[in-house]
Amino acid sequence: MSEEKSRFERRDFLKLGSAGIAASALSACATALSEQKPAVATVPEPQPRPAAPTLAPSKPDGPPRRTLGRTGLEVPTVSMGVMNADNPALVRAALDGGMVLLDTAHGYQDGRNEEMLGTVLPARKRDSFILCTKVFVSTLDRKTGKFPPETRPQEIEEKLDLSLKRLGLEHVDILYLHCQSLRESVLHQPLLEALAKAKAAGKTRFIGVSTHKNEPEVLRAAVEAKLYDVVLTAYNFRQDHHLEVQKAIGEAARAGLGIVAMKTQAGVYWDKDKKTPINMKAALKWALRDPNVHTAIPGFVSFDQLEDDLQVLRDSRLSAEEEQSLVEPTKVAGLYCQGCDTCLGQCPGGLPIPELMRSYMYGHAYRNREAAQSLLLALDLPAVPCDDCESCSVVCAKHFDVRARIRDISRLRQVPKEFLI
Amino acid sequence: MRILVALLGLWLAVGKAKQPIDGASAFEKTGTTPLPALPGFRVVQGPTTYGPDNLFEYIDGGADAFLLFEFEELQTTTFLGPQQVEVTVDLYRHKDADRAYGIYALERPPGATPIAVGVEGYAGGDYLQFAIGSFYVKLVQSGPKADFVLRRFAEKIADKLGGRKSAPAVLGAFPEKGKVLRSEKMAPSNFLGHSFFHDGISVHYQIDGASFHLFVVRGTDSSDARKMVERYRAVAKAPAAEVKPAGSETLKDPYHGEVLLRWSGRWLWGAIEQASPLRPQLLDELGQRLIQGQ
Repeated sequence: MSEEKSRFERRDFLKLGSAGIAASALSACATALSEQKPAVATVPEPQPRPAAPTLAPSKPDGPPRRTLGRTGLEVPTVSMGVMNADNPALVRAALDGGMVLLDTAHGYQDGRNEEMLGTVLPARKRDSFILCTKVFVSTLDRKTGKFPPETRPQEIEEKLDLSLKRLGLEHVDILYLHCQSLRESVLHQPLLEALAKAKAAGKTRFIGVSTHKNEPEVLRAAVEAKLYDVVLTAYNFRQDHHLEVQKAIGEAARAGLGIVAMKTQAGVYWDKDKKTPINMKAALKWALRDPNVHTAIPGFVSFDQLEDDLQVLRDSRLSAEEEQSLVEPTKVAGLYCQGCDTCLGQCPGGLPIPELMRSYMYGHAYRNREAAQSLLLALDLPAVPCDDCESCSVVCAKHFDVRARIRDISRLRQVPKEFLI
Repeated sequence: MRILVALLGLWLAVGKAKQPIDGASAFEKTGTTPLPALPGFRVVQGPTTYGPDNLFEYIDGGADAFLLFEFEELQTTTFLGPQQVEVTVDLYRHKDADRAYGIYALERPPGATPIAVGVEGYAGGDYLQFAIGSFYVKLVQSGPKADFVLRRFAEKIADKLGGRKSAPAVLGAFPEKGKVLRSEKMAPSNFLGHSFFHDGISVHYQIDGASFHLFVVRGTDSSDARKMVERYRAVAKAPAAEVKPAGSETLKDPYHGEVLLRWSGRWLWGAIEQASPLRPQLLDELGQRLIQGQ
């Protein structure tokens, strides 16, 4: 079934690709590339377990699933971050709608979040859901990210026991060491031993670490520890360092770790005045476009929001229009080429200005260097564009500095593809 | 004339001095929220402040629930007292008193024994939490056990912060009979998980073996309330009908099952979960109080 699905997706891609070419080879580039990414054609064969998703719907018509690293758990790509919910009906609806993995923490709502889950989960078949919780070790210095000598590893067991009681379960599926930001803390030996002890005692099936700060270091430390099964990491399109996070996620996934993404929707609004909402579905799809992200845990508090997330679960392809919606409005104003073609034919050197401006937009606004390079390579450009003119006579309707942008983006042609992350 | 002006000035000065200045007002003026001094205790860390953008650095994913209740700022301060007793005081300031009470009620454990601090509080072995005005206050003690330290701190903080010391008025409309004490929960939006509802309040009832919740949702006005009823009827797939300014209906909520719904003016109220013969009577009582109080 999973193979059949893969073939179907490839056919879809080819269909979209040829249709795009027929319509406009250039404007199809971004879409085609975003469609192509999940096939992970350029990702090296992962070791020791496949980093690429295993699409294995539990039912023939079930949602796509990915394998959560070495845990072997088959998880739907969209899961439920329960942190905001105090409504058992919402959890039931999420599980009935096809979600399987639920993410909470010992400390959420001072324990009421786990208690609320405890009114839902014991009535369900234990293998029908995956329950993840997190334990925050109270001595962690939040400023330095370090554990002081007085840290008590037994706090993990004490809190886990209370969590199990609240949840009404005999074991959780994943227990995370909550909120880490430093290599030395991820590798803290007494805490690792306490986590391993909880696993050996059957109180948790797998152990993990969560991070929303200095994520690349934590991801790499989790690989180094050789004990963790899963990393829960912040990952979204608004992170300044998202390329670095993406790279570290790839490394961790190839080392066999399961990757769960959080904070994928990067807040609800672009602005502090809460007037410009972020396209939440697009933001979630952006994270899931990375095949090394096995599932994401958006939080939701309404049935409408749940339905939006279920739609993404059923179809997580990010359209060019959705990708465009993820460009910060203020940046759009400065980077978005509206395609008005006012500049067409103005260049004495005959350069295709609209395409070059669009390439610049792909590269800088969408941060999609692959699309930008593909577009550039499809153009017949001189080795050093704009070299023959001392000043530029092209007048852009949006007053772009056309010459500076062309000189900047055209250098991307020389960058090897493997560096285009 | 000079004497009159002087007297007027004196009267104004006295009047101003008597006006309560709550913590939120003080924050607006000084950028910090005042904390009281407790004899023998001194500040050893802080005050450190967190805003909506970085609250997660302090309480991780738990921050999201605070943001839903329009959290504005956290100020955290650690005191060290006699015999190395350490007390950390976290002042969470929200947009208003209703929201501060809302997040307090969300985190309040069922069956917690209340203590009379601020609006209400509760305590465990090494912690004490309470709501007052637009603040939700958490105190945690570490080091040697010292009886009454947290309580003394809490009372002084409550005096210093000031602000409203009563729960949201609408809670007073809920009938007492069968009410599970301290089971009030507020949703800041999307009440019952429905995006067409605004904020709402629910209270748990247990009567004669039946367990159910009564709830109240407040519209901005009568027209707004009717729109919410229309949306709810659509979700419940009720037969099309004009929604009058006041009415009563039993709806089949796809997620919550049978719902007894009533509305009048700006108010919607109802009951969900197990049926009980007493529900209609309790809803009558609730409705009367809401309408009288509006």
